[in-house]
Amino acid sequence: MRYVHLYFTCIRRSMISRLEYKKDTIIALFSFFFSNLCSLAALYFILQSIPALSGYTLPEVGFFYGFSMLPIALDHLFSDEFWLVAYFRVKDGDMDMHFLRPVPVIFQMFAETFQPEGFGELILGVALISVCAANLTVSVTFGAVAVLCVGAVFGAVIITSLKVAMAALAFIFKRSGPLLQIIYNFSNYAKYPLAIYPAFIRLLLIFVLPFGLFISLPVDTLLYGTHDPWLLCLAIILCAAVFFALAVWVWILCERRYESTGS
Amino acid sequence: MIEVNDLTKIFRKPIRGNGLSGMVKTLFSRKYDEVRAVDGISFTVPDGEIVGYIGANGAGKSTTIKMMCGILTPTSGSVRIDGVEPYRKRQQVAQHIGVVFGQKTQLWWDIPLVESFKVLKEIYQISDADYAERMDFLGEVLDITRFLTQPVRTLSLGERMRADLAASMLHNPRILFLDEPTIGLDVLVKERIRSAIHALNKTYGTTVVLTTHDMNDIENLCSRIILLEKGRILYDGPLSSLKNRFGNIKTLTLTVPAEIKAAAAPVLSPEVAVSEEDGKMVLRFDADRVALEQVVQYAFRDLKAMDMKIAEISIGDVVKTILEQEEAEHAEKV
Amino acid sequence: MLKKYRPFLRAGAIDTMAYRFNILVWAVITVCQVACLVFLWLAVYRSSAGGMDAEIHGFTYREMIAYVVLTTIFNFVTFNNDTLWNINTDIKKGTVGNYLIKPISYRGKFAATSLGSLLTMTLMFGLPLYTAALVTLGSLGFLPDLSFPAFFAHLGLFLLAGLCASLLNDVIAYIFGVLCFYTSSGWGLNSLKETLVAFLSGTLLPLAFFPAGLREVVRWMPFAGMSQNPVLILMMKYDLAESLRCLAVSAAWIVLLELFAKFLFSRAVRKVTVQGG
Repeated sequence: MRYVHLYFTCIRRSMISRLEYKKDTIIALFSFFFSNLCSLAALYFILQSIPALSGYTLPEVGFFYGFSMLPIALDHLFSDEFWLVAYFRVKDGDMDMHFLRPVPVIFQMFAETFQPEGFGELILGVALISVCAANLTVSVTFGAVAVLCVGAVFGAVIITSLKVAMAALAFIFKRSGPLLQIIYNFSNYAKYPLAIYPAFIRLLLIFVLPFGLFISLPVDTLLYGTHDPWLLCLAIILCAAVFFALAVWVWILCERRYESTGS
Repeated sequence: MIEVNDLTKIFRKPIRGNGLSGMVKTLFSRKYDEVRAVDGISFTVPDGEIVGYIGANGAGKSTTIKMMCGILTPTSGSVRIDGVEPYRKRQQVAQHIGVVFGQKTQLWWDIPLVESFKVLKEIYQISDADYAERMDFLGEVLDITRFLTQPVRTLSLGERMRADLAASMLHNPRILFLDEPTIGLDVLVKERIRSAIHALNKTYGTTVVLTTHDMNDIENLCSRIILLEKGRILYDGPLSSLKNRFGNIKTLTLTVPAEIKAAAAPVLSPEVAVSEEDGKMVLRFDADRVALEQVVQYAFRDLKAMDMKIAEISIGDVVKTILEQEEAEHAEKV
Repeated sequence: MLKKYRPFLRAGAIDTMAYRFNILVWAVITVCQVACLVFLWLAVYRSSAGGMDAEIHGFTYREMIAYVVLTTIFNFVTFNNDTLWNINTDIKKGTVGNYLIKPISYRGKFAATSLGSLLTMTLMFGLPLYTAALVTLGSLGFLPDLSFPAFFAHLGLFLLAGLCASLLNDVIAYIFGVLCFYTSSGWGLNSLKETLVAFLSGTLLPLAFFPAGLREVVRWMPFAGMSQNPVLILMMKYDLAESLRCLAVSAAWIVLLELFAKFLFSRAVRKVTVQGG
């Protein structure tokens, strides 16, 4: 309870900070829409030159893309500070003050930034899904909707866990940003149907960096009923639990290695 | 209570080769230079004491402070804050200490100062009543009320430092670590900060450990000083006995007629050193061995002094002398 | 004259070295990423009307794979600076003022650091990576038109184009960095810059896939010279005349953008007093 209260106090602080940078927030929002527009345009340009991508039509590919934005957006809302940890804060010796406070450092990192841009991403994702769904002819089942919701929410937990674990490595290597960046970039590949990849990439995207597990498989389940939705829900939730536990463990191990700079 | 026991910190720095070939070599090998930043120091600070931690740059002051507040782990030896090693139980100790690094702010840069305080209030679980009381006290002794609603990035250095001090005192820590709290500040702000530290120490019995280069801070605040050089303690004790270690040294600076030369002046006693500095005659002696009265008479009678200034040796001079002696001994050994 | 920038050149090189771990990890994982992209393109060609023998917008699937591999190496070697972030930090901490009184130009400092980084990256990673990629791709028949000695001419042009790309990237990062004076924070600007460059430089997909009108516009913008054009010069997809046109466009843009950067900085610097304390 104490931490809930503390979290909201800190988030309030973060929002006040953001308001100091209204212009930057607007540019960030714009650039975010622009960036998604670019990716969608690229996808559109490619699909213009072929009839369908491995059997997936344009609205289906669009639906994939839109859905992939949801877990990414949720993660974006809550855990942006870890980018800073991975790229700059440890390297610049800028973590001391957090280690001087009587609150777990990992909590402080979650509470340090709240990114309202995530809402824009959520809205855009939902909009894209709606537009594409209108051009699809699928019978929507309750199970399929459930698995999409679980995929979005627990998918976000998995992405955040990966982020936390990668950022934690900065405590050992001073800067782990590139590593985080590349792991995170794998989410780009879950924007397309798994069918376009050979078997081992599919396995990688389901079992190692499980972006496929919570993006592709749920969408396939909705479009083609390929998997049992409830079993898939269970798998995603379990996976999220394991990833989160591992991430916290890695963070705590690495955090112990943190040393301020000398002098 | 702070107990420091045979504390040592060795930093390992990778040796970088020169030029491109050296850089390529660095890619494949790891060789390290060892730097003993802190080298087996021990001391104890009882509750309620104000200790000044002094020494040249790189003497190991900040490194010790960082170990005492838990963000550096000793290579060997230990620090105990009320019996607990801070680098092992960081969170537990954090509730009871306050820290200010003069070079770095711990406040949120973009938001009004009072918002930072509100967050700290939650972080340290300060009750509303305590918070109100502390804000009153700090508002008065540090004079921060005026700029509470300004974002920290708009504060002047002096205001920011006072704000940082207030932030570190907000949760009523039992121990306060201040690393260069007066660096780069003007005399009035320094004065304000010193009196705040005094008030805090008086009112709440807070233990204060501070590092500084400003000898006025030491003379005004510290009952005890620890002098550090190359990671070792050169002196640990009350300020007065550090001065007395050199005797009760006084200097007389005289304006004398041009025909009186230091080299040719009549000698009063071998205990009185006569020299010439900037066209003035300077007499340096130990007032416990040669009576001041005698020297003054000698100055007027034998040296025809027209004007005279008497000064006690300053703490700065003492430290300088100790460091110079140390340097000389070191040079002899080499 | 240029001597005073040498410490920064050196610092750029040493910084790059210091993060060797990150660079190695980056290289390893980039391979995975390239593989994924390659699979995407393979699926695209498999799904196309003409099957695997199809040529889409002038690219066979082999050339597309070569393109993906080479742009990845190119971006890795060429775009290696923290210019925007360093300016952002300087602004936030109010240390820009320190540089205004030093006898070096703020712009020159960053350019030198980036060039130092480019030099190290090219020698340490570019040389082996390009060699390995060209030999492998060539022997697999993915670079069908490699004919000597014309290739050496293209190699020379490619190196020049790489230098231009690095300078363009740095000056664009610098311009966006200076714009941080107005927004007080660099996040939004950085992501805008990254998106803009990734999309318009042909990193996301070759500009040939763009609709005709947009394609013509992009051909004359600075971005194509930052990734697509150097790689296509190396792959000898461009003839000599087109290569020289690309270089000329890049060079012209460098001059223009540097002038613009100078103008922008001189205006932005007036805001320093507002931020500093």
